[in-house]
Amino acid sequence: MAVREKDPVSGTELTGHEWDGIKEMDSPVPWASRWALWASIAVSVLFWLLYPSFPLVTGYAKGLLGYSTRAEVAAAVDQAEAERAQAFAPFQSEDIAALAADPALEARYGQAIGKLYADNCAACHTAGLTGQAGFPDLTDGHWLWSGSPEEVEYSIRYGINAAHDDTRSAQMLAFGAGGMLDKVQVRQAVEYVLSLSGQAHDAELAVAGRGVFEESCAACHGDDGRGGYENGAPDLGDDRWIYGGSRGDIYRSVYYGRMGVMPAWEGRLSDAEIRMLTLYVLWNGNDAAD
Amino acid sequence: MSTQHQKLERNSIGFALAILLVASIGGIVEIAPLFTIENTVEEVEGMRPYTPLELAGRDIYVREGCYACHSQMIRTLRSDVERYGHYSLAAESMYDHPFQWGSKRTGPDLARIGGKYSDAWHVAHLEAPRELVEGSVMPGYAFLSDTRLATGHLPAALKALSRAGVPYTEAQIENAEKDAVWQADFEQNFEGELQESYGAKVQVRDFDGQPGRLTEMDALVAYLQMLGTLAELDTLDPEESSR
Repeated sequence: MAVREKDPVSGTELTGHEWDGIKEMDSPVPWASRWALWASIAVSVLFWLLYPSFPLVTGYAKGLLGYSTRAEVAAAVDQAEAERAQAFAPFQSEDIAALAADPALEARYGQAIGKLYADNCAACHTAGLTGQAGFPDLTDGHWLWSGSPEEVEYSIRYGINAAHDDTRSAQMLAFGAGGMLDKVQVRQAVEYVLSLSGQAHDAELAVAGRGVFEESCAACHGDDGRGGYENGAPDLGDDRWIYGGSRGDIYRSVYYGRMGVMPAWEGRLSDAEIRMLTLYVLWNGNDAAD
Repeated sequence: MSTQHQKLERNSIGFALAILLVASIGGIVEIAPLFTIENTVEEVEGMRPYTPLELAGRDIYVREGCYACHSQMIRTLRSDVERYGHYSLAAESMYDHPFQWGSKRTGPDLARIGGKYSDAWHVAHLEAPRELVEGSVMPGYAFLSDTRLATGHLPAALKALSRAGVPYTEAQIENAEKDAVWQADFEQNFEGELQESYGAKVQVRDFDGQPGRLTEMDALVAYLQMLGTLAELDTLDPEESSR
């Protein structure tokens, strides 16, 4: 290669390209850019060696530091758990009845546990615990499975009709759709149920409905219709309704049945968290206890 | 400048080969790891292909763009794990084509939503989100409850996935339509058959609260209730799964 022409002013070599008398200088990339490029390559090689980087034929390059994001998050979660165990120390105790009897806990922990409630329970039972159509009110003091601390804890831990081997099971059968009662009998039973809760009803149908009730409904709801804690059958004589207490609502419940689901929280929440929520429900729920 | 390079520039075949060589480095770095991808998928028990009904629900999930606001990827961060549960595993999306990891959380992550709420809640919430969650910006999907689920394409859908590597059996492909109907059967008459075919964790029941009607709501709720429930995380070998 011949010696190339140089720019007379700067002394830089020219590329030899020329357009209409304008010649192009062959200036190198600025040294800072070149340096940064090589430095970044060096850094990437360094990190490539230090950290997990590349799948291999069996397994992957683990890196010289042996770093693992999964190990790190496991440690962080463990630490958080330890911190919470300290911050919520009383709830490490498994004696839920003693916890429920401690009047000092609500003022101290109520607000913090409210966050736990909001994140997990409020979607169904609402932020104010008052429930909504299909999801029970937790504040009215009317319980399906009793309001004792142990039973509330059981419901939270194992759920109702949930995907857990120890879950509570309760089902209102589809007496109409399932062919156990004909439509007339359903209507009679509905009138009788209306009479139980002191609502306006057709007296004649209700008298006939009494027989239907004793035959088909009393096994779960009791002869007096007051329900029971053993099988979670609701009290039909009060003014509290999960699925509505109007004639049409009750008809739908009797005809098509009901099977509400409370998810099982074991596994999703820690034991201590389940105890906290149990108390939270009791603190807010026993104001109107009967 | 190097005279070597000038020589190369003037040799068109040689220069083309040199370009190919340099460009292929980028390709190799991106593609070669895929040949050994199995090595990066943890071994965990419980993972199975989607049942036809869940798959139909998943297709509705994709069709309605749920991924635009909901991720299905619990990251290895304390905040994620504390809120949503065990971080997601590669194994948990190994039958996903395409995966639904997502990159935006306008709504919460759904990777472990299965079992957190009841079917009735999901149906009511999908129909009218603000009736249950104050201030929610989620659109309503009430039409899902009124739309019958199309099942005719399910055998073909399973077959396509099996070609992409999802281990569906011939019988599963053949029975796809029937299995979809059976899984939402309110009398749960065929629970045994489905569990034999797809494993003990198949959830068989009427999902949408309309017994005897197979709707898109059935499929979507069946899919949501399955999310994150398959992998038996306690069978995970911590040594083997560290990343």
